[in-house]
Amino acid sequence: MEKKTLRIDYLSRVEGEAGVYAEISADRVKVELRVFEAPRFFESFLRGRSHQDIVDFTARICGICPVAYQMSAVHSIEKIFGIEIDGRIRQLRRLFYAAEWIESHSLHVYLLQGPDFYGAGSAWENRAYLPFAKRGLAFKKLGNSLMAMIGARPVHPVSARVGGFYKTPRKKHLTALLSELERAYEQSLSAISWAAGLPFNSALSGDSAAWDFEYISLRHPNEYPMNEGRVVSNKGLDESMDSFAGITKEYQTEYSNTLHSNIQRDGEKTSYLVGPLARINLNSGLLPSEIINAMKESGVAIPIKNVEMGIIARSVEIAYAFHEAIRIIKGYEEAGPDAACDFKTRSGTATWITEAPRGMLIHHYTLDDGGHVENCVIIPPTAQNAAHIERSLHNYLRRNAEKSLESLEKGCEKIIRSYDPCISCSVHLVKM
Amino acid sequence: MKKPTTGIFKFTSCDGCQLSMLNLEDDILRLTELTEIAYFREGEDNPLVGHLDLAVIEGSISTESQKKKITDIRERSRHLITIGACATAGGVQALRNWADFDAFKKIVYPKPDYIDALPASTPVSEHVHVDYELWGCPIDTLELSEVLTSFLIGKRPGIPAHSLCMECKGKGIACVLVSREEPCLGPVTRSGCGVLCPSLNRACYGCFGPMEGANIETLSGIFERFGYSADECRMMLDKMNTYAFRKERTEKS
Repeated sequence: MEKKTLRIDYLSRVEGEAGVYAEISADRVKVELRVFEAPRFFESFLRGRSHQDIVDFTARICGICPVAYQMSAVHSIEKIFGIEIDGRIRQLRRLFYAAEWIESHSLHVYLLQGPDFYGAGSAWENRAYLPFAKRGLAFKKLGNSLMAMIGARPVHPVSARVGGFYKTPRKKHLTALLSELERAYEQSLSAISWAAGLPFNSALSGDSAAWDFEYISLRHPNEYPMNEGRVVSNKGLDESMDSFAGITKEYQTEYSNTLHSNIQRDGEKTSYLVGPLARINLNSGLLPSEIINAMKESGVAIPIKNVEMGIIARSVEIAYAFHEAIRIIKGYEEAGPDAACDFKTRSGTATWITEAPRGMLIHHYTLDDGGHVENCVIIPPTAQNAAHIERSLHNYLRRNAEKSLESLEKGCEKIIRSYDPCISCSVHLVKM
Repeated sequence: MKKPTTGIFKFTSCDGCQLSMLNLEDDILRLTELTEIAYFREGEDNPLVGHLDLAVIEGSISTESQKKKITDIRERSRHLITIGACATAGGVQALRNWADFDAFKKIVYPKPDYIDALPASTPVSEHVHVDYELWGCPIDTLELSEVLTSFLIGKRPGIPAHSLCMECKGKGIACVLVSREEPCLGPVTRSGCGVLCPSLNRACYGCFGPMEGANIETLSGIFERFGYSADECRMMLDKMNTYAFRKERTEKS
């Protein structure tokens, strides 16, 4: 077999700018996920900034998951300042996060990855796909409305602050969304069987059953993880947020503006997967019985190890986020004027991890007495998945080396898309 | 009649303004009836070929290759508009324009030499002619809808250029600056967001950039009387629209 060179200059239907370069011969495959998205140096210009600037600035890392950045930020800072937040604030943050999961997952499931299963190049190109595009847009709109009700707007919301919120929504306004949320929840339950019935291509994932990879997420004793928990994996990892930050190692490659992550244990380096698949595999027991039944009826078996089936995990999490939103709104108590607790700034260092739509988002800050940034490290989910994506592409190309370049390119694009990479996020990383 | 063609392009940014395009939700499908979306990498697979009637640009110019790319897009396009603080004012990443760039790179990347980035992040208008600039971090979806339809039907967009204060007064919100003595940027910031922060009892932090002719010195003087240092006042302006606020301030003085 002659050596083939595969080049994808600019991936479509993913967030941000990246391509793929691969050299394929009978006995060897070399593959690079090339992120050419321009870096923005957030960790550098955050130095000297106030704690509120952290919340407002880090949101700007990602237009799709700003709440995730705000949540990892406020929790880190609250840990340094020694703040215990009110139970009502805790619930409202969970509602805020659920809204973002709905918005972000609906975008990916229906507008980015979904068209792949219908041979379409976009959500609006193919008439047969329009009903699904419309369902996705309706879900996304509802997620956005809920985000805007809490944060005043869906992209870069302005209400989050250390200790709580600038202002909390009125119960009557949230309640007004209930009937729409309940309808959407019903639809999202049936969408689980739609996702489970999509034509998955065994060639793309043929070896994932044999590839015994590690997946990692937060785990909380009594709720599906969002803002709190320990870091666990299918390989027995069980760490606090602080100790987990100590075993992840980032490294830079010549061809990518994204730093890659590995975990290092006993001198061994392993790539790992974060995101909806990891979460559902490690926490499915905490899903409501209605959703578990919908999964069973659709033949969804846990663990799912085929990354292309991330679309099923996202669809399950959309249903969960609707369910959680309805539950929280029904039990919502207005915080009144105490939307945020009083606190004093103090110096310190803390790590916090929350579950962004795409997986664990790690923030680490050292603040001075006045609460200004001395140092910070931000590790987004896509940077953690980068090495795993390359492994996945490598496995695929090795096993399908004889196929045409065109077919391999399509295959690579579909594999990458199924990770829901967020490239804009991924180019902000850590000091080593 | 042939539908006009639109291309949507991303430069250095967070994607939030392109997302605002998709957040038009009900309108996005109608928009695809009004114009042929000939290029939108985030939404569809089509490659960029030929000419466009309208190029919509998100993101600032911050690498050598982006300078070439924006020139190429301009040459292909009858009209070119920028959406958001990055494309219109360099974005939050323009904070590096005032810093030691080599040190900045070293903080983030262990091997800074691999990184292709210019020492300054600049607005698109510094590189090519821009027909219309839509401000905001992020842009407001209704304003986006107004601008897109205006260009597609050939009229001037009706976007007000007055300060946030005007809009805030119109809504009857208690003044954050006067009654709470908080450092609100409303008097010097463009309207357009819908007065989000003051309606949450929060001081405006300038997402929509400076209004034309903003009197920044006077406002900074007021903040200093409230007890903020000159350095703190500068940092309030050095955010998503740092480049534009600094420009407005130096051109005035």
